[in-house]
Amino acid sequence: MATVTYKGASRIYPGTKKPAVDKLDLEITDGEFLVLVGPSGCGKSTSLRMLAGLEEVDEGSIFINDTDVSNLPPKSRDIAMVFQNYALYPHMTVFDNMAFALKLRRTPKNVIREKVAEAAKLLDLEDYLDRKPKALSGGQRQRVAMGRAIVRQPQVFLMDEPLSNLDAKLRVQTRSQIASLQKRLGVTTVYVTHDQVEAMTMGHRVAVMKDGLLQQVDTPRTLYDKPSNVFVAGFMGSPAMNIKTVPLGEDGAKFGDVIVPLSRERREIAAAGDFDKGKTEVTIGIRPEDCKLGTEADGGIAVEVDLVEELGSDAYVYGHAVYSDGTERFVIRCDGRNMPRLGDVVHLVPEVGREHVFHAITGDRIE
Amino acid sequence: MKHGKGWFVASFLALPVGLYVWLVILPFAQAFQISLTDWSGYSPSFDYIGFDNFVEMWSDPKGWVIPGFTHTGIILLVLPVIVIVMSLFFAFMLNVGGRSRGGIGGVRGAGFYKIVYFFPQVLATAIIAMVWSQIYKPPATGGLITSALEALGLPYPEYGFMGDTSWVLTGIIAVMVWSSVGFYLVYFSSAMAAIPQDIYEAARIDGASRVKTFFTITLPLLWESVQTAWVYLGIIALDGFVLVFMMTPSQGGPNHASEVIGGVIYKFAFGGGRDAGMASAIGVVLFGVVLILTVVSLRFTRRERIEY
Repeated sequence: MATVTYKGASRIYPGTKKPAVDKLDLEITDGEFLVLVGPSGCGKSTSLRMLAGLEEVDEGSIFINDTDVSNLPPKSRDIAMVFQNYALYPHMTVFDNMAFALKLRRTPKNVIREKVAEAAKLLDLEDYLDRKPKALSGGQRQRVAMGRAIVRQPQVFLMDEPLSNLDAKLRVQTRSQIASLQKRLGVTTVYVTHDQVEAMTMGHRVAVMKDGLLQQVDTPRTLYDKPSNVFVAGFMGSPAMNIKTVPLGEDGAKFGDVIVPLSRERREIAAAGDFDKGKTEVTIGIRPEDCKLGTEADGGIAVEVDLVEELGSDAYVYGHAVYSDGTERFVIRCDGRNMPRLGDVVHLVPEVGREHVFHAITGDRIE
Repeated sequence: MKHGKGWFVASFLALPVGLYVWLVILPFAQAFQISLTDWSGYSPSFDYIGFDNFVEMWSDPKGWVIPGFTHTGIILLVLPVIVIVMSLFFAFMLNVGGRSRGGIGGVRGAGFYKIVYFFPQVLATAIIAMVWSQIYKPPATGGLITSALEALGLPYPEYGFMGDTSWVLTGIIAVMVWSSVGFYLVYFSSAMAAIPQDIYEAARIDGASRVKTFFTITLPLLWESVQTAWVYLGIIALDGFVLVFMMTPSQGGPNHASEVIGGVIYKFAFGGGRDAGMASAIGVVLFGVVLILTVVSLRFTRRERIEY
C-alpha cells in the first residue's frame, strides 16, 4: 500500500549538461498502474531507475508514501523490479531465484517455501522450480522474473520493458496477465515501455515523456482524445494521427483549396505568436478513423493512394495530398470491403468536430 | 575414399606430432630412463640401478629433498589461496563494490588502482628478486623493512629477512604473492565484466549487501575463472625457483630453510649434487604428485557450466 511522488526530480549524467530527466513531477496513487511511455532516450527508464535507487536523484526528491527515499539504498525502499532481460541469477534454480530476497531477510524456511509455492502456482511455474534459467523458455523466464518480484510483497512494483524480449503473440498474452495480476494484488506499479499499445491497454494512467520532460499524464482515453500537444498526439495511436501544419486562413485551416473551419476563438489563439506577417499557420491533427472517403463536393482533400493495408475488418489507405507537391502524407481508415485502388485519387473528408488543433509554434493544444 | 582421407589428415599431422614426440614426449621418457640410473650427468657411462634413487631420496643425505618437498608443499597450499582471495577482493571492490546506491561500479579511483596493482606484472622476475632482496636486507645495508622496524624500536631479524631461518620462506611467499596479485586482479576484473550488470542490480534491489553479493552472486559466477587461476597459481607455486635462487643465501638457505623442489632438482643435476639420476627421480616423483593433485582438484571443484 503505497503512493509514489516525484517532486522536481532530475537526473543529470556526469559530463552532460542536459538532464536525462528534467524536474519530473508525478504523483502515483496507491494501487495505481502507471505506465511511463516515450521514444527511446526520453528518460522513462532513468525515471524508473531513480525510483529503484539504481540512479541518483541529482535534484528534487522522490517519496514513497511520506518517506523521502532519494538518498536511501535500493534495499531500504521496499520495491521489487522486473528487468528487461529478466536478470535471473543463472546459477540458481527457479526456486532459489524467487527465494533469494526472502532468504536475505532471514524469513523462516517454511514461510519461504509457502510463498514461493504460492507465487509459482499463480504464475504456472510449479513444474519448473528445480530448473536453472537456461533450461527455460523466454516466456517462462519472464514469469520467474515476475515471481521474484511477487514473493517479496513489496510496496511498489517496477517494470522496465518486461515484455520486449517476448514474441508478438506471447507479448499480447502476458500483457493481459500482468494487468490482471496487478489488479488482483493491488500493488502500486510503475511500468516502463516504448510501446504505446502496451501503455494504452495496461495503464490506469499513462505518462508520456520526451527528452526528459513529462508531456502529459492522464488516462489512456483522455490522452487519445485530448492530447495536450503535438508530440503526444503523434505518439499515441497507431497508425499515427495525420498532423499537418497549414496556413491559417480567414475561416480556418487551409489544406490547399479545402478549408477546415475553425471557430474564432481558436483562430485567435492560433494566430498569437511570432509569425512572419501573412504567414500565420496552424497545426491540425486528424486521426485516421476520424476521416472518411468522400467526394470533392463534400469538401474532401484530394489524396492520391500510395498503399492500401488490408487488415480484414478494415483497411488503411496511405496516400499523398495532391496539393502542395505531394509532400504531405495522409492515412485514412476505411471499410475493408470498399477500398480504392493504388493510384486512385480519393477525397479525405474530416469528421466535423473531431479534428485536433495545435499551435503551430508551441505545439500546444488549442481547445 | 575414407582410406585416402585418413592419409590426407595424417600428412598434415605428421610434422607437428613428430616434433611433439621428439621434443616433448622423448625427453619425458628419457627422464624416466635416467631416473633408473646412477648417471652423474657428466660421465660418459652409467649403470642401471633399478629404483635405488627413489629409495635413497628419502634418506636424504644432502638434506635437500625433504625440506624441498615440504616447502614446495607449503607454497602450493598457501600461495593460490592468498593470491585468489586478495585478487578477488580487490577485483570486486574495483568493479562492483562501490557505493550502495546509484549505479553499479567500483570504489573511487578504481581505474588508477587497477594500473598500480598491475605494475609488478611488467617486471621481470629477476628484477623483482633484486628489488626485494634490497628491501629484505638488514639495516646496516639499507633494508627498508628492517630499518623501519629499527627506527620504531621493534624487533627485527638481525641478518635481514633472507638471512633468518624462520622468515626466509614467508619472505619468498610474500614476494610471490606481491608479484601475482596484480595479474589475477586484472584477470578477475575482466571475468566480472562479463557478468551482466542487471544481475548485480537485481541483487541490490533484492537487498543483498556487498558481502552477500560477493558470496552469492560474484563468486559462483566466477567459479570457472577461479578454477583456472588455481591451476596457474599451482604451477607458479611449484616453481618459485628463480626467487629462491636469486634471493636466499646458498640458494635454499639459510640452513635449507627455503629449499624448493625445483631448486633441489637443479642442484642435483647441475649444482653441487652431480647426480642426474637423482634429479630425474625427483622429477618423476614430482610428476606423479602433480598428476594426482590435478585430477583430484579438477574432480573436486567441478560444477555445472553457467550460461547467461
